[in-house]
Amino acid sequence: MPRLLKTEQRHLLLEFFHERFGMDQGHFDPFDIFAFSRQAFLFRRQDKALDWPASSFVRCGLPFVRNVAGYLKPTTVFVQRFGNLATKNVLDMEMEQVGQLCSNGEIILSALPASLDTGYVIIKMQQHYLGIGLLLEGNRLLCRFPKAMREAISRLTPG
Amino acid sequence: MNLSPQTKHPFITKLYEYQELIPDFEGLIDHLYRPMPVYFRINTIKTGVDEAKNFLRQEGVEFQDTIIPELIKVVHHNHKRPLLSYHLGYIYPQALSSCMPVLALDPRPGEMVLDMCAAPGGKATYIAQRMEDTGFVVANDRKRGRITSLLANVKRLGITNTLVTQARGEHLDLPYKFDKVLVDAPCSGQGKYRIDPVSGTLKHVVKGKTDLSAIQKALIKRAFDTLKPGGILVYSTCTLSVEENEEVVDFLLNRRRAKLLALELPIDFSPGITQFKGKKYNEQLELTGRFYPHRIDSVGFFVAKIAKDGTEAPAS
Ligand SMILES: C[S@@+](CC[C@H](N)C(=O)[O-])C[C@H]1O[C@@H](n2cnc3c(N)ncnc32)[C@H](O)[C@@H]1O
Repeated sequence: MPRLLKTEQRHLLLEFFHERFGMDQGHFDPFDIFAFSRQAFLFRRQDKALDWPASSFVRCGLPFVRNVAGYLKPTTVFVQRFGNLATKNVLDMEMEQVGQLCSNGEIILSALPASLDTGYVIIKMQQHYLGIGLLLEGNRLLCRFPKAMREAISRLTPG
Repeated sequence: MNLSPQTKHPFITKLYEYQELIPDFEGLIDHLYRPMPVYFRINTIKTGVDEAKNFLRQEGVEFQDTIIPELIKVVHHNHKRPLLSYHLGYIYPQALSSCMPVLALDPRPGEMVLDMCAAPGGKATYIAQRMEDTGFVVANDRKRGRITSLLANVKRLGITNTLVTQARGEHLDLPYKFDKVLVDAPCSGQGKYRIDPVSGTLKHVVKGKTDLSAIQKALIKRAFDTLKPGGILVYSTCTLSVEENEEVVDFLLNRRRAKLLALELPIDFSPGITQFKGKKYNEQLELTGRFYPHRIDSVGFFVAKIAKDGTEAPAS
């Protein structure tokens, strides 16, 4: 069964989202956060879920963030749903550029907005929040979208 | 009308049992040769209806609006593989008629809803959407393999209010009761039948299921017992079979203090059947709905909306 994060752990996790992406903690007040294997899940708060018999329990809520080699990596689905709450480390890209990122797996960006730091960034195209990229020194951006989604973007932006 | 030799297929011959009951039966047989239209439900948990439509146009999809604002009928698209809109969780491919059980259930924000046979999640995720991703949805299914696609869909559509469980619905051991329950039962799937006009092959035939009616009766009874007093149960199938539809609801009416409610749904349907092969069913069954493929240009469905006696009203 998943474990409900205690206030302190919850605060630490949400503080990461606040620091990294400028997401206000208050946005997550309607949700509980559960830990299960190496992931955390956002679950609409109500008092019943944990009473469910363990024998039939499979999963609750939306995969939110996972621990990758000691770093917190937001999931693609979280970014797609809640990316609009971010006020920093959001990279707004042109469709063509996103196409290149997906086809090559990485690109070098010519100019970076000052609000971007190295580490995980949220990638946005038009008003669509797509997923996560990893920004490294030298303006190198690695694509961290799921494979099938990369392929769909490549089909949409041929060449 | 010239019935081609394929219509002598044993599964099709079975449909002829309903020749007298189904309006324009020949139209139904003709319709079997036509491709089933594709519909996309727009997932308003992740996007707006207009926003998704604009993006679909950018992806080269041509579509028409339907009577349901969040459902579009696809007229043309070139893509053999899923669209980006799909990966972004903006759309769920879902037949027009498959939306009807959810519209009948009418889930509201803040309610507690159980979907007993939920995989791959077409209706469970639509329930979550109608509830604006609030309240509590339990999406259960018996089969491990199908749970995988249910989990993937709940995740892709960005849903936070859903608990996924794996159990036989008829044995679900529940710590609490629900405002609303959906049983979209395993069935013989006659409503999905298609005949390939070139090869004559019958497609979407469900084989190897034995005694579906017994399983369906066990499911509907258990589902009814998981309702709060005053709660609502919707029983649905995608088959035309009376044994799997009216007979199952009749079984419940004979055993529990259940009452059928009239359906208020936006597409054409025929009333349920009260007499078949010498058997008489409860007169209330006229209030159930039969959605015929040739009348709606979508999958055939059966929907029954049932109320549990009681003073405690659903939370809405
Ligand atoms: C018609 S399908 C459900 C489709 C689903 N409601 C949707 O809209 O995507 C019926 C489902 O019932 C499941 N099932 C079969 N027997 C069951 C049982 N005894 N208890 C619970 N689920 C069962 C099957 O695995 C199958 O996924």
